[in-house]
Amino acid sequence: MRRNKRNLVLLLLFVLLLPLLSGCWDAMEMERRANILAIGIDEASEKEQEKDGEVAHLKKSFQMPNQKLIKVTAQIAIPGRIPLGPDQGGDQKPVLVMSVVGHTLEDALLNLQQQVADELFLGHLRIIVLNENVAKQGTKRLNDFLRRNPEIRRTAALVVSKEAASKYMKLAPDLDRVPSLYLADMVDNLSSLGRFPPSFIGLFWTIYSSKGQEAYLPYLTIKQKDIIELKGLAYFKGDKMVGKTSPLEIGVFMAVKGDSKGGYGAFVHVPGTDQMVMVQVRSRKTKTKIELKNGRPHVRLKVRYECEIDEKESPKVKINDSKVLKSIEKETAKDMRMSIEKLIATTQNAGSDVFGFGEHFRAKLPRYWNRNIKTKENWEAAYQQLTYDVKVDTFIHRVGMKAK
Amino acid sequence: MENTRPITTYQAAAILISTIIGVGVLPLPLFAVQAGDTGAPLVTLLGMVLGAIGLFILTFLGIRHPEKTIITYSEDIIGKVLGRICSLFVILFFFVLTGLAAREFGEVVVTGVLQETPLEVTVIVMLLLACISCRNAINVFSYIHNFYLPMLVAPVLIVVALSLKNADPLYLRPIIGTNLPHMLFGTLTISALFQGSFIITMIIPFMKNPKKAIKASLFGISISGGLYLLLVIATVAVFGAEEIKQIFWPTLELARTTALPGNVLQRLDVIFLAVWVTAVFTTLFSSYYFTIYSIQQLLHLQDHKMLSCSIFPFVFISAMLPQNLIQMYEFIKFVGRVGLLITILYPGILLIIDFIKNRRRKENASQQT
Repeated sequence: MRRNKRNLVLLLLFVLLLPLLSGCWDAMEMERRANILAIGIDEASEKEQEKDGEVAHLKKSFQMPNQKLIKVTAQIAIPGRIPLGPDQGGDQKPVLVMSVVGHTLEDALLNLQQQVADELFLGHLRIIVLNENVAKQGTKRLNDFLRRNPEIRRTAALVVSKEAASKYMKLAPDLDRVPSLYLADMVDNLSSLGRFPPSFIGLFWTIYSSKGQEAYLPYLTIKQKDIIELKGLAYFKGDKMVGKTSPLEIGVFMAVKGDSKGGYGAFVHVPGTDQMVMVQVRSRKTKTKIELKNGRPHVRLKVRYECEIDEKESPKVKINDSKVLKSIEKETAKDMRMSIEKLIATTQNAGSDVFGFGEHFRAKLPRYWNRNIKTKENWEAAYQQLTYDVKVDTFIHRVGMKAK
Repeated sequence: MENTRPITTYQAAAILISTIIGVGVLPLPLFAVQAGDTGAPLVTLLGMVLGAIGLFILTFLGIRHPEKTIITYSEDIIGKVLGRICSLFVILFFFVLTGLAAREFGEVVVTGVLQETPLEVTVIVMLLLACISCRNAINVFSYIHNFYLPMLVAPVLIVVALSLKNADPLYLRPIIGTNLPHMLFGTLTISALFQGSFIITMIIPFMKNPKKAIKASLFGISISGGLYLLLVIATVAVFGAEEIKQIFWPTLELARTTALPGNVLQRLDVIFLAVWVTAVFTTLFSSYYFTIYSIQQLLHLQDHKMLSCSIFPFVFISAMLPQNLIQMYEFIKFVGRVGLLITILYPGILLIIDFIKNRRRKENASQQT
């Protein structure tokens, strides 16, 4: 009798455990997910304005009168067609590219979901391309959704493009079979090659939130068919892009910012001749000192370059003498100083403190900051009045394997 | 005969550490930054000191009454009726704390990872786990804590170490925040995260050598507090104060931003969450155990095991009371600060009364001779 009772209890227990076999609420098969790999965001054209989906809101009920719709182009991975090894994947296209319009990113993605059978999944989103015009109007409408959504990776890349972002989604570079992965890898590698300071969406938000600095993003352009080029650095004021630099100025920017990895080289005029040599920066060291001069913020920058000479233009110049090297060093330092000053002046005109000098003032002179600045807007104004000295030292350590 | 005092000093310290490190790890940097801006590490340190004061008061009390817990010796010190009423508040507080911890756990899991899973299920599973484990004796309790301790500490250290790559020391300055009164108020919220240390009062009667409880407390609070401090420093240095104010769980975000070198893992939040689930479990386990054990002592029952299941539904109901995440955090902060009255002020008063009583007794004794 007692044994029977025990068996009954055991049986009951098993029955109770049965529902657990059905598994997890969040179980989701890979094949049934629409993985978005990349998103491109453009301004919608006049014709496309009409295509608004009425999914998240009814027509004309959206309270955002003066804002144009955005066009979101998404690259969705097709299950089974993403090549996993060198032998896999046929000639079929591994991704599907779709475009939708909407007021905000979420609005557009809801419209997209209405057209895709599988559930959209953003966990594999690697890169977001913003068209220049959208960036100039502000990234506010995208930030909120991206921050709230737990699937988004903070390490995803965010870039600004000269051409329509939808073009980037349709690119088919030969180097990688998945276009967006090529694009994302390219952006990720920029910083490890010293071509661009570290940049990802989380960092963009961090800088955007802090009061004493402004955000920056890589500025890309399409060269010929399917070739992408890093064309400069887009700098922001608040959430709006206000300007861009030339590619060489990225190196200058990194010097001021204190990024130690050098990657840029520049032609320097050799004094006393009309020839040029290529001076490549290996590493840099930056010291930023701040002070108040007559109650006004003042920055003293000291940059130290470690360089080598990679190439000279013609056999006429001889670099076998340390005196020549010294003069080249001096000339380089002068050039660098001028370009640094020029870049600071440009950003001052735009009121965009991309270098983060304001953070130094906030951190080191809290009393001044709390009394006079306090908000981001005040610092933007104060930055335009900022004075600075720049001191550059250049040291050439190597000239390569050639003796002359 | 069975050993009635099985817990060693190091085990006691381990119980303290794994009890203190709990759900609070995730919003900790947010609370600290809301209170002190860039002074967040300082706020954390102050909170830790305040928590330590409470813990040491309890430890002293425990050493003076090495056979009893706060439930039983409060009856000796302030009288039977008053002591019982106060004990009722203590129990109620830890009861609510258990519920809230389970709820906070559920909210994080549902918002962050398992979006389709009903909140009730995650909460029930966690509570059930604690409920079943609570049917064990105190030595099993201490083994469980000891077993999980390395798994709690190591990953946090790894995340902190790897994240420092993205850190900017400028974000940590000025070290003293800007708004002092505000900071002190925030200290209360932070020190509420150390309330798990109250468990020491239950452990001391089981310690091999109750005199060494001070050492255990010192280890417990300094290791867990040090870990908290590291975490706050790392998150503030990576995100900056302003960005943290925008994130509910900065610690989780830190794990999401941090990658294992060499693209082995591009985000560490999965590992971190797995660890954090254990951390929540150990905390929940302790507060649940404390609640039922105290009820047992208050009612002078033989055994605490059957209480484990009988309070389960009530804990669950209290966990489901807050309507949403924001209401829950408002409630948690409020309960935490009120709880300081129970975890610091109440033992403090007990200690003072105990001192005075003792001295009188001695004086009486010396007068008589």
